[in-house]
Amino acid sequence: MRIKIKKSVYLIVFTLIITSLSACEGDQQNTGAAPEALRGGSRLSELLGGDSSAGFARAIEPREFVFPRDHGPHTRYRNEWWYVTGNLDGPERERFGFELTFFRFSLAPDTPSEFDSAWQTNQVYIAHFAITDVTGKSFHVAQRYARGGAGLAGAQASPFKVWLDDWSIAESAPRPGSTHWNLHAEDAGFSLDLDLVALKRPVLNGRDGLSQKSAEAGNASYYYSLTRLQSDGSVRLGEKNYAVTGLSWLDREWGSSALSSGQRGWDWFALQLSDGSELMFYNIRRNDNSADSHSAGTWIDPEGVTSYLRPEDVSIVVTDSWDSPRGGTYPAGWIIDIPGRDLSLAVQPVLSDQELLTTVRYWEGAVDVDGSRGEQDFTGRGYVELTGYASE
Amino acid sequence: MNPILIRASVGYLLRHPWQLALALLGISIGVAVMVSVDLANQSSRKAFIASMNAVNGDATHQIVAGPGGIDEALYVHLRVAEGIRSIAPIVAGNVRISNRTMQLLGVDVFAERAFRSFSSPASSPPGNSEGSGQSSEDAVRRFLAGDGSVLMSARTATELDLAANEPFILEANGKSYPARLAGSPQGGQEGQLDNLLVADIAAAQHWLGLTGKLSRIDVKISEGDNKLASRLRSLLPDGTELLSAAGRTQTTADMSDAFMTNLFAMSLLALLVGIFLIYNSVSFAVLQRRELIGVLRALGVTRRQVFGLILTEAAIIGLIGAAVGVFAGVWLGEKLVVLVSRTVSDHYFVANVTRLSVDSFSVAKGFLAGLLATLVAAAIPAAEASAYQPRLTLSRSTLEARAGGLLPKLAWGGLGLMLVAGLTLTVSGNHLTAGLVALFMLIFGFALCIPLVVHFLSVSFEPLAGRWGGTAARLAVSSVSKSLSRTGVAVVALSIAVSATIGVSIMVESFRLSVSDWLNTTLQSDVYVGVPRGSLDRQLLADLVAVPGIIEHSTSRRSWLEDQGGRTQIIAIQMAPGSYRGTKIRDGRPEDVWQLFDNGQGVLISDAYAYRSQLGRGDSLQLNTSDGMIEFTVAAVYQSYDSNNGAIMMSRGTYDRYFDDPVIDSIGLYLEPGTDVDDIMTKLREVGRGRQSLIMNSNARIRDISLQIFDRTFVITNVLYWLAVGVAVIGIFGAMLALQLERARDYGILRAIGMTPAQTGMLVSAQTGCIGILSGIAAIPLGLMMAWVLIEVINRRAFGWEIDFTVPPAVLLWALLLAVGAALLAGIYPAWSAAHTRPALAMRDE
Repeated sequence: MRIKIKKSVYLIVFTLIITSLSACEGDQQNTGAAPEALRGGSRLSELLGGDSSAGFARAIEPREFVFPRDHGPHTRYRNEWWYVTGNLDGPERERFGFELTFFRFSLAPDTPSEFDSAWQTNQVYIAHFAITDVTGKSFHVAQRYARGGAGLAGAQASPFKVWLDDWSIAESAPRPGSTHWNLHAEDAGFSLDLDLVALKRPVLNGRDGLSQKSAEAGNASYYYSLTRLQSDGSVRLGEKNYAVTGLSWLDREWGSSALSSGQRGWDWFALQLSDGSELMFYNIRRNDNSADSHSAGTWIDPEGVTSYLRPEDVSIVVTDSWDSPRGGTYPAGWIIDIPGRDLSLAVQPVLSDQELLTTVRYWEGAVDVDGSRGEQDFTGRGYVELTGYASE
Repeated sequence: MNPILIRASVGYLLRHPWQLALALLGISIGVAVMVSVDLANQSSRKAFIASMNAVNGDATHQIVAGPGGIDEALYVHLRVAEGIRSIAPIVAGNVRISNRTMQLLGVDVFAERAFRSFSSPASSPPGNSEGSGQSSEDAVRRFLAGDGSVLMSARTATELDLAANEPFILEANGKSYPARLAGSPQGGQEGQLDNLLVADIAAAQHWLGLTGKLSRIDVKISEGDNKLASRLRSLLPDGTELLSAAGRTQTTADMSDAFMTNLFAMSLLALLVGIFLIYNSVSFAVLQRRELIGVLRALGVTRRQVFGLILTEAAIIGLIGAAVGVFAGVWLGEKLVVLVSRTVSDHYFVANVTRLSVDSFSVAKGFLAGLLATLVAAAIPAAEASAYQPRLTLSRSTLEARAGGLLPKLAWGGLGLMLVAGLTLTVSGNHLTAGLVALFMLIFGFALCIPLVVHFLSVSFEPLAGRWGGTAARLAVSSVSKSLSRTGVAVVALSIAVSATIGVSIMVESFRLSVSDWLNTTLQSDVYVGVPRGSLDRQLLADLVAVPGIIEHSTSRRSWLEDQGGRTQIIAIQMAPGSYRGTKIRDGRPEDVWQLFDNGQGVLISDAYAYRSQLGRGDSLQLNTSDGMIEFTVAAVYQSYDSNNGAIMMSRGTYDRYFDDPVIDSIGLYLEPGTDVDDIMTKLREVGRGRQSLIMNSNARIRDISLQIFDRTFVITNVLYWLAVGVAVIGIFGAMLALQLERARDYGILRAIGMTPAQTGMLVSAQTGCIGILSGIAAIPLGLMMAWVLIEVINRRAFGWEIDFTVPPAVLLWALLLAVGAALLAGIYPAWSAAHTRPALAMRDE
């Protein structure tokens, strides 16, 4: 999923090395390459278009998902990610949101073998880590990258682990039949340690896990989610430590396809509702800002039964907007209606500025949900990702 | 100053342009030599430091380990387990492209950002017309995908005639690999990144045979962050150290200090000779105007004014001379820097000097030294002039009488100074600069004695000359002592220049002889086979020594150990039975020493190391090994000239026990008696073909190469003393010209009483010839003394070398010839001029 991010990954790999290596900025201010990347003109299509996916495996047909095998990497595909977001509560009603994402990127279909060196690899990893301090109204971001060689970064299925430097998500004391992981990430001034336990089975998005991104065959990815992860641990901000508890969401996706030229960006919603159900929906925006027909979503009921959502099943109305001080106007409030389920959700960011000033600038933030199904009211929390809005 | 006085002065100087020119020349050359040597030294050093700083980028510290390098797992551990991010792995080494040696820097681009700005490609190298955009991105993709892409500076690429994306062959560790030019490193000032090749770390490990190893880890520690430094230190395994990057650069640069100090001292010699020249010119100017000064004094000009006048003249000459000297120095420096940087690169570090960097401090230093030297040299004649009585015209004879009375005083002063010099030598321990100061005191002291010596010689030779050569010869010899106030200084200048050639020649010859003897002893094997800065493949080694005709072999490995104090060379040797003869033990019974050595109970240290560390047999030293600090006993000191900074030799067994470094970089092969060396070398090459490119040399060839490098090292020395001789020749010329002008009347009388022009010319030539011979003779004792000081004091203190003192008679003979030749050369014009004196004109005064 996350088409924009996928696009970003290519760009991150190229632009960060070309431009940002020469700039002496810190991680959080790495904006040098972003505007050009997001303008996405002809250079981008040249870079990503045509032959560049030749030789890679492609997501053409539905596949059989096997766990824990599929938690691990799929290096024959060009890109892949482990995307964890969540909402956490501290002991004194402090409220936090977090994002920890590992992107994997293959520079070439085959692992090079010319050199007798553990450093030789075609794999590049990039990771983003953000904490939203709702109570303190602050947002912290860090970005890292490393080659997937010599043990500096990588992913493996059994025991499950994905890491980059000292940031990692790794299986801990496996209990039969359960998914139990540890998450660790830290940067100067903030860190996060969580125990993650899956409360539901993996959810296959799209058609049996094949998520079609445009009409062209193979322009798709494999996409599953762990929509409800019980999360306990601690958040550190500055000198202060908070014991936290809450819910997290894992998105896993891999594929080799390039972005369709008419697509500009997208809005992604991952909402966990108080009645035990979840909603995932992504709205691909075309260049003229209209919704692409390949937008889609998944409804997961409290028992984990899923239903596929087509764009015509869902109506999204933007109720508010936020002007980024870095440029660009983001939507900042939505009413999502799913008439078929008699469902109406008001979605509101917990903090306006949750924009990541990473190589590619995007907004990814914690949100609150107020909803109703028929007469029944409920609440919820979740994460929203907005790409393609940033401008110079 | 009174304008009339100044006009008198200017008028005088302009009427005597020769004299003015000579004074200017003397000071200019002195200053030029000093400035040029200083600039060449500084430029070499700066070029090295600048390129090191450019390569180190923002790294403040570096983690280094012993000869085996750092296990790459340490880096991964620090990053992944410890979360330390301000570190970057480096795999470095030397590779060759089209026979040019380049430094390869293997980097991980992802860790680079905090350290170096250049390790990403900037503009495309020459030959690529497409511009930078797309091709740079391609370059980066390849850099990471690992097809052997490298970055090199645009200039280096041009010099190697490589265009963008062009494939080429890179030679590393004796093997050839395909590589490709991906672009040029970004930034870096001109020349700093020349000869540098940036590649992906995986490629570097593979090419250099360093799989699993890092050469160092660059570390960036913000100022005042002691926590990170101490945390890192606590995490480092034994044998691994965290050192300051600037400190490492400094220590390496400091290795050449002694060499550069010596060079600078040599350049001062030229200035010293220049001082005599100034003295000569100024006192002549004073003498010539003795009547004028007498008149001035009678007119009420005070002593102080006369003193001031002469000194002002000198100051003006000094200013102009020093200014000219500075410009000439910069020009000369450009020539000299090539020689200096080549020597420095041979022995210490690669100084890639592309341009002379003109340092204002060096220039100011040279300028001031020139000015000061002029004033000092002029002070004596100025004082003399101010002592003239009003209206009393001093006759030549009074003057000479006074000068004659001065000779013993000068000599006593000189003896005293030499005594002080000797005292300085004995009490200054192993301080190099003190040694050089003493050397100069010695020279100066002896210089003060030379007039007396020459006077004595001239008086003793006079009757002898009369008996052999008649009146003319007698006249020529006696004139030397009769005109010492004039010629004395010229004699001193020439003597010093000649003694410098004697001293330096004897030092160089003795040194060369010692080195050559040492090479004969140490090169015991018949054939040496090695991989330059690489590792000899083990299987290949086995195949090489199995070639029929080879009976024994020794192996050796040279590596460096580094700590806070700098780098120490370790030589690990697997001795063949014949090898023992090749190492001359300075102290101790060889049998005992070798037993300790073979049993791993002791190590050997070279002369230089022993001198530097003040260690000897039975002492112990500590080395940072893979097991941490280990104490080793010094079994003996051995003779060696191959490392300025000294080396520690240990048996291979000892080395393997304490260092994780299985590399063998060369082997020595012993052949069956009667085997043809060329024949065996052909066979050996056949074995190595297609496997590893080997450097193979017979012992005779190594000897030749070594001596070539030796000779190259002393090219600069030669250049410098020729410059000193040049200054002396000018001095003689000046003195003879002055004498001839002053004696115009005498020559006129001689001509009037029937001497032919040819005879007059001969007389003057004979005079200068006498000056030459007497200067040469006087120079010999000083030369021998200088040689002794250079060998036993300066060389010892600078490099720790033990050199056997040898005096080749040819050197002394050559010095005499040089002195006479220089004097005669300088006398040609004065002789011609004297011969063409018109008697009537010369005597018109009367």
